[in-house]
Formats: sequence, structure tokens, C-alpha cells
Amino acid sequence: MTKNPTNPENEKMLNDDYLWNASGTPDPEIQRLESLLADFRQADRALILPAQIPAAPRRFRALLIPMLSLPRLAAAAGILLAAGLTLFFFTRPKPAPEAGPAWDVANLQGSPQIGAKAIAANQAAAKLHVGQTIVTNADSRASLSQADLGEIRIDPNSRVRLVQTDANRKRIQLDVGTIHAAIWAPPGTFVVDTPSAVAIDLGCSYTLHVSPDGSGELHTTYGWVGFHLHGRDSFIPAGAMCSTRPALGPGIPYFEDATPAFREAVAQFDSNSENSADRSAALAKILSEARAHDALSLWHLLSRANATERAEVCARFAALVPPPNGVTRAGILNLDQSMLDLWWNSLGLGEISTWRFWQQSAYPQPSANTQELLQKKQSLSKP
Amino acid sequence: MAALSELGAPRSGPPAVNAVHETGGPDDALVRAAQHGDRIAFGLLYARYSRMVHGILLARVPFSDVDDLVQDVFLQALPRLTTLREISRFPGWLASIARNRATDFHRRTKPTDEFDEQSDSAQSSTSAPSANHSSHSSAEAHAALDAIRSLPDTYREPLILRLVEGMTGPEIAARTGLTHGSVRVNLHRGMQQLREILGRKASPPTGGAQ
Repeated sequence: MTKNPTNPENEKMLNDDYLWNASGTPDPEIQRLESLLADFRQADRALILPAQIPAAPRRFRALLIPMLSLPRLAAAAGILLAAGLTLFFFTRPKPAPEAGPAWDVANLQGSPQIGAKAIAANQAAAKLHVGQTIVTNADSRASLSQADLGEIRIDPNSRVRLVQTDANRKRIQLDVGTIHAAIWAPPGTFVVDTPSAVAIDLGCSYTLHVSPDGSGELHTTYGWVGFHLHGRDSFIPAGAMCSTRPALGPGIPYFEDATPAFREAVAQFDSNSENSADRSAALAKILSEARAHDALSLWHLLSRANATERAEVCARFAALVPPPNGVTRAGILNLDQSMLDLWWNSLGLGEISTWRFWQQSAYPQPSANTQELLQKKQSLSKP
Repeated sequence: MAALSELGAPRSGPPAVNAVHETGGPDDALVRAAQHGDRIAFGLLYARYSRMVHGILLARVPFSDVDDLVQDVFLQALPRLTTLREISRFPGWLASIARNRATDFHRRTKPTDEFDEQSDSAQSSTSAPSANHSSHSSAEAHAALDAIRSLPDTYREPLILRLVEGMTGPEIAARTGLTHGSVRVNLHRGMQQLREILGRKASPPTGGAQ
């Protein structure tokens, strides 16, 4: 658009730099809206592609042009007739897919259902296919199993959908209810989507509960689990638990044998906004109640705290678990990722490279060709 | 995810990097590579364009359905990519798929589940963000989103991309295939209308009190 400076609207627009490209003098109202609306922003969810890509729908025109001759028109009429008859027989509603990869389902109690079908107690070969949902009522329980994955037991009043199962990823969605997972697949293979976080198995067994309001709780009994949402990660080792709430994502994990005051303070810290008095009080309680074992929670607090709080947490953490070589106070206060990783590894709760590997595989990296291309572009664009 | 990470190598070989480099920008090169079956290139396109798709959908459908629909849009786009003849039109083409998917969403949704601005706001505790917000600021966020959604199509899409997705005007233009001029005008006028709506809400008329 040509800007005419004599037009008052254009003149105003020329002063709209902050709205246009976030430069110039910040507009307080726009800043307020940006802050208010930030939670509606796209979460960093990876794209899940099917193993087989369906064929592209052919264009009508591309089909029509080769047919523009009389013999072909006659053939087309025949095809149309056949298509009409086929359509007649196939237009009834179809049940959920019952083909392709599936997991074994066993009835442990009552009458769990896949779609409208109840699974009989002695049914030998019940299967849950990708896209199907298994539902248990108040009196029923079921189990899912897959030879190279492990077993997932589903408690009453639960709803679980099988989202993906292939060589590299097994994924289910827990809408509501409780599952107990015992997984022997390699770390990072088994993923559970919940309404408020994604749980990534890192070699373990655990219990995951999702309430009807979408909030959840994860208790790890062996190994460790990663909980992830909106770039916020929580690691839950054996003996620890972590709560999660819609949009907030995973909270700060803590060991279940921590003092009640410590646990209460962690919950308070998670639920209170920055700069609130309650949050300051909760942080003070966390730091005073923390044992060396609770360094798990303090490590997570480092990245959830603001700059002032972080300095306090860092001091207490260092008093409980001396930082290893290569970790400096300044680096931690600046949230240096490699230093945070080093300090985490010194806790002996799990090797964080497992998680970093999962992040890299979950978020696709450029192919060699693409990387080369992008590097060339970047070098060309430099002055 | 895994399916992406396992597929770095194109099936039938994309154009050579140098040739691609000389004939088009990085997005063009990625689109061309994706057309040749390079899923990593498609994953990169997803990384670059998913915010735009998210914003377009958020302008039209309930927040709780947007993430799933973003996936749908890219899954619809992937097999159709080979039918895209003018690679430079990829942004507009993808935006159209997103808008059509939103329309289709409303067509397929049962009447009782129809998107309703009021009920969408009311169900904020389960389907919308409350992170780091008190219930008051969450309600304010919903009110602001609803106000943007009440604007004409032309204004609400760029405003959501700017205020929610955090894209700048030039980014919006590049991602949607619109000109800088149209995006700037739409942002400016949309913001003016939004200020009026929010101003009215902040100071409701006091008629009757004499």
C-alpha cells in the first residue's frame, strides 16, 4: 500500500511501528494484550506423520481431459454407473478402523469397551487399533500390552485412545482416569498425551492419573519419567511425584517422602503467580524445609524462579549439593543449559542426555541437504 | 516425532542443493524437497508455518480444538503437496487449507457442540489457558480473545497472529502470502476497532443513573 502522509490514518499508521514490527516506542495497551493472550499461543507440539502417506486426491480436471472422446465418454458412463452402485452399498456409517497395527487388550474385570463393543472376560484376541478408544466404567479394568513395549493397566473410569504404534514411537492418549505403565521399550519410545502434559517414559514404571478437569498426577515407581508442556520440562525419578494442570503444565516434582510442609509449599509455589506474597512465603518454606534429597525440587525451581528467587534457590541448592566442576553461580543464574544439565547429572537421578536425545528426535532436525542450504543462505544474507 | 526423525532421506531425490539455492528462497527449496518426499523438509515447513496455521484456526474455532486441527491441516497438506504447481504460493495455499479446515470443523460439529463464543469463554477452566493467571486475568484474556474474534475476518486473523502468536507484521506478510501494505493496514484498522471494543467494555454506559 502506498502511504500518503497527508492522510491522517496513514500518518497514524506510520507511528504504529510497535504494532507493525515490535519496534519503536512500546504501546502499553498492545503490550498488555500480548501478555494476556500469550497463553493461547501455539504449544510446541511436534507433528506426527503417518508411516504411509495417503495418495493425493486427483484433480477432477486432470481426470476429465483424457476422457474427452466418445469411446471414453461411454466408458466413463459405465464407470459412473458402477461408482453409483458401489456408493449405494457403501454409504452406511462405518465403524472405527479395525485394521492395521494394534495392541492386545485383556479384560481384567467387568466389561471394558472398545467403541460400542464390550470385551468379554474370556475373550482371547481383543485388539485395540490405532484411532480406537478403550473405556472402563466404575466396575471394569483392562490391560493393554505390546510385545516390544510393555504393559499398561487401566483402572476403572478411564478412557484411553491408541494414537500411534510403530517401530520408534508408541503413543496413547489418556483423557481421564488412571493407568499403571510398566515399560521395557527403550527410553523415549512410549509417550502418553494428557490434557495438561505429555508424559515420556525414560525407562520405568509409573502411575498416571488424569482428573475430569484435565489436571493430572504422576508417580514414578521405577526409573524416571519426563513430563513436558509448552517448553516446561519436569523429571520425575522413582519415589517422586509431580502434578500437572491444564495450560500450566507440569509443576515442580518432589519426593513423596518430603515433609508435609515442603510438599504444601511446592504446591503453593506452583499455584501462585510471580511476585505474590504467598509465593514468596512458599519459596522460603521450600528452602528451609529442603533436605539434600529434595535437590530434585530445587533443581526444577532454578528455571521456574525469577532472577531474585533464583539467587536464593541457587545458594540453598549449592549448600545441599555442591556444584560439580564446570558449574558456576553466574552460569546457573543465567540458566546456562549445559551447566544445569551437569548439576542435574550430579544428583544421580538419571542421565539427562536421554531427555535431550528425546527432544531432538521429537523436534525434527534439518536433513543434511537442508542444513547445507540454510547455512549457505545465512552466509549470503550476512553483510 | 519418530516418523519424521526416521525419514531424512528423500525417496526420489530432490533438486540438487545448489540448483535449488539459485532458483528459490529457503521456503521454496523446502517445499520442493517436501514434494519429492523429504519428510524432514516437511517437518521444517511445519516448524515455520505451524504458528500461522494455529493463528488462522484460533481466529475461527474453539481454543481446545486448535492443536488437533493444526495437525489435521498439515496431514491434509502433505499428500496434496505434489498438486501445488507454483511453489511460491505455498503460504497462501496452506492458509487456505487451514481456513477450509476451520469451515469444515463447524460444518461437521453437532449443533449442540457448535462453537459459541459465550460457552467457549465459560469453559476456560478445562479447555483454555489459566497458566500464570488468576481467574480474573484468565477471564480478561478470554474477553480480549473474544473481542478480537468479533472483528471482521480481515482484521482478526492478522491481529491474532500479531498479538497471540507473537509474529511481526513482516512475518505475517511472508507467512500468509499477503503484501506488507495490506497486512499493515489490516493490523492498524483492526487494532483501532479492538481498542474501541475494549474501551466500551471497560467503561459500560451508565444510563439510568440520574
